[in-house]
Amino acid sequence: MFIFKNAIRCILRSKSRSVLLGIISLVIAISACLGLSIRQAAESAKAETLAGMSITATISFDRQSMMGNMGRPQNGSQGGFDKEQFEAMMGGASSLTLEEYETYAQAASVQNFYYTLTVSVDGNEDFSPVTTSSESSGSSAGTSFGGFGGGGFGGGKNPDGMFGGFGADGDFSIVGYSSYAAMTDFINSTATVTSGSAFEEETEEYQCMISLELATYNNNLAVGDTITIVNPNAETETYTLTIVGIYESDAGNDFSMSVFGSGQDPANQIYMSANAVAKLIAASESVSTTVKDDNGRESETAMMESLTATYVFADVESYQRFDAEARALGLEDSYVINSSDLTEFENSLTPLKTLSTMAGWFLLVILIIGAVILVVLNILNIRERKYEIGVLTAMGMKKWKVALQFMAEILVVTMIAIFLGAGIGAVSSVPVTNALLANQAASQNDRADRLEQNFGRPDGFDFGGFGGGFGGGSGSRPGMPGGNREDMGKNPFTNYITEVNSAMNLTVVLQMIGIGLLLTLVAGAVAILFIMRYNPLKILSNRD
Amino acid sequence: MAILSLQNICFSYGFTPVLKDVSYDFEPGKMYCIVGKSGAGKTTLLSLLSGLAAPNSGKILYNGEDVTKIDKYKFRSKYIGVIFQSFNLITKFTALENVVLSMDIAGVKGGGKKAKAMELLQNVGLDEDEANRRVLMLSGGQQQRVAIARALSYGPDIILADEPTGNLDTDTQQEIMDIFRKLADEGKCVILVSHSPDVAKLCDERYELVKISKKKKN
Repeated sequence: MFIFKNAIRCILRSKSRSVLLGIISLVIAISACLGLSIRQAAESAKAETLAGMSITATISFDRQSMMGNMGRPQNGSQGGFDKEQFEAMMGGASSLTLEEYETYAQAASVQNFYYTLTVSVDGNEDFSPVTTSSESSGSSAGTSFGGFGGGGFGGGKNPDGMFGGFGADGDFSIVGYSSYAAMTDFINSTATVTSGSAFEEETEEYQCMISLELATYNNNLAVGDTITIVNPNAETETYTLTIVGIYESDAGNDFSMSVFGSGQDPANQIYMSANAVAKLIAASESVSTTVKDDNGRESETAMMESLTATYVFADVESYQRFDAEARALGLEDSYVINSSDLTEFENSLTPLKTLSTMAGWFLLVILIIGAVILVVLNILNIRERKYEIGVLTAMGMKKWKVALQFMAEILVVTMIAIFLGAGIGAVSSVPVTNALLANQAASQNDRADRLEQNFGRPDGFDFGGFGGGFGGGSGSRPGMPGGNREDMGKNPFTNYITEVNSAMNLTVVLQMIGIGLLLTLVAGAVAILFIMRYNPLKILSNRD
Repeated sequence: MAILSLQNICFSYGFTPVLKDVSYDFEPGKMYCIVGKSGAGKTTLLSLLSGLAAPNSGKILYNGEDVTKIDKYKFRSKYIGVIFQSFNLITKFTALENVVLSMDIAGVKGGGKKAKAMELLQNVGLDEDEANRRVLMLSGGQQQRVAIARALSYGPDIILADEPTGNLDTDTQQEIMDIFRKLADEGKCVILVSHSPDVAKLCDERYELVKISKKKKN
């Protein structure tokens, strides 16, 4: 106890030394607090967002794995791309059926399940699509992928029921929703019914909703009117749909990807119930015939649907459990489970993560520099107080007790500085973090903008649009064949977290105390080394 | 019976011998004066007696027990009180705090340490105001008194003092010597190291150290 009292007395009696030590410790403490707060903010933001986030996931064919297997030399071959092998593997990869998707939806981790059916159709002379000047009107037969992007390659059926159904790309896309829950644009308020109402949720009637743009563009349509759609593979095969609602969507306003057909334009999407689309396809299949193309390849005239199934999970843990559960329910290894929500979420954290990493290095540098300064100061302090050490040990005070007193002095000053630093850090960490975060996000956006400019797409280009799954119907966004269609024309990485609400918490305070103790131990270790080496007789003799 | 006994003590600094075959007994209730010319080894002997140094050969016995077998910190803090020539006080502390600190180091238990320290300081001639001053604000004589009070604070059996009157005026010298005489009369063994014949005269016994002469090489 007297050691602690002596330490306090020495701190108070050597004010200039204590203040110097305190200022240095305070600077270290504030810097450490900011660094720790930024790291904590990153963790908290991630945890809080994930806690309130429901995750959606899709199942897609594992193209990368397949391509990887192809690249391996087999049976003494030289490896590399083997066209025959590729075709054989593609042929062996069947798309998942709705029944299979529904089986995996039985997994305990799945909170909700919905799907969309998408078909490509043409209009007639009374019903024309919204086009841009660079788009060609009419069908582009036989060469288009049925939904580039997250959804991947079509997923339509050829007569073998396999992948690779290269059908005609129509002017319109009909999207059939299994439930209102699948209509995420309406749920997320990026689309709104402005006239009429949505179709009945599970109706088999040919009721549809069209976009306001499509209704007004050359067509002059209103709720209650009918439209005629044509099978792009068989011009005589027509169906009549009744318009029950007209919607307005933000997604179509910035569509500028003229490389796609007009059917890919969100304005040319027609929404129906999945049951009605299934009925439409069944009707088409019932009148289907087999035709040969110019290469002699046979295909059915029936309209080909793309199936997109989406699983909803209450949290990330459920999503992570789903893989094992789906495998147990029979999902093959050649399929992978992806969540675009999580990917987007991870992307949104990029500036915060970068900042957090930088803060980590900053913290490390501060701690090293701080420790070195404290050690040097402590060495000077001990040398200056050598005589005092000699007197204390000559009086019979054990060396370890003298060292303990010196450590207690450093500890008291450091801890006062740590608590002051934590207080200042608590006040300043949020604005500082947000300012740094805003800079970081701006830097990321600038980088993305430069990338767009480099690609000659100053109006926006969806770099992520081509990276999705390969399999039948696994769009990365429910109800959007072809993936993140609503993101097209936008920088896909713009929704960064640029603000944190709190950065300081008990964990940071405890970490700060840990840092204080660590610095005290490092500086104190030097004190112990010096004090243990000192011989009181020599010190006092020299003094004399 | 001797409280402190030197038995054939030899000590050298490197190859320079300072003490050779020194034997002497110190008894309680007596005041001793170790005298000798400069370089005779008076301060060295004091360092050996106070446990700050160990002899190269021979033994120092405290109440019959070899000092090297006793914890040197315990020996210095409890059994022996040393008054250094330059006082060796903690300059940033007050006189009172210096005395209390020595009691803390000695492990003196219980409350009232401040009161006892104040009493000791008053006994050696310091008033309350002087006791609460930092030692740097005190005169040499007052610092000497603080050093004496500090050496007495934990009740050691032996008091060692190195040139206790060296820097003091005649009146103060007399007062300090009176304090030592009183301690000896109380049964403590007081050992003084001094050049002064006047100091030696006031002591019960005088032990003269002889400087070891260097042999000339032919």
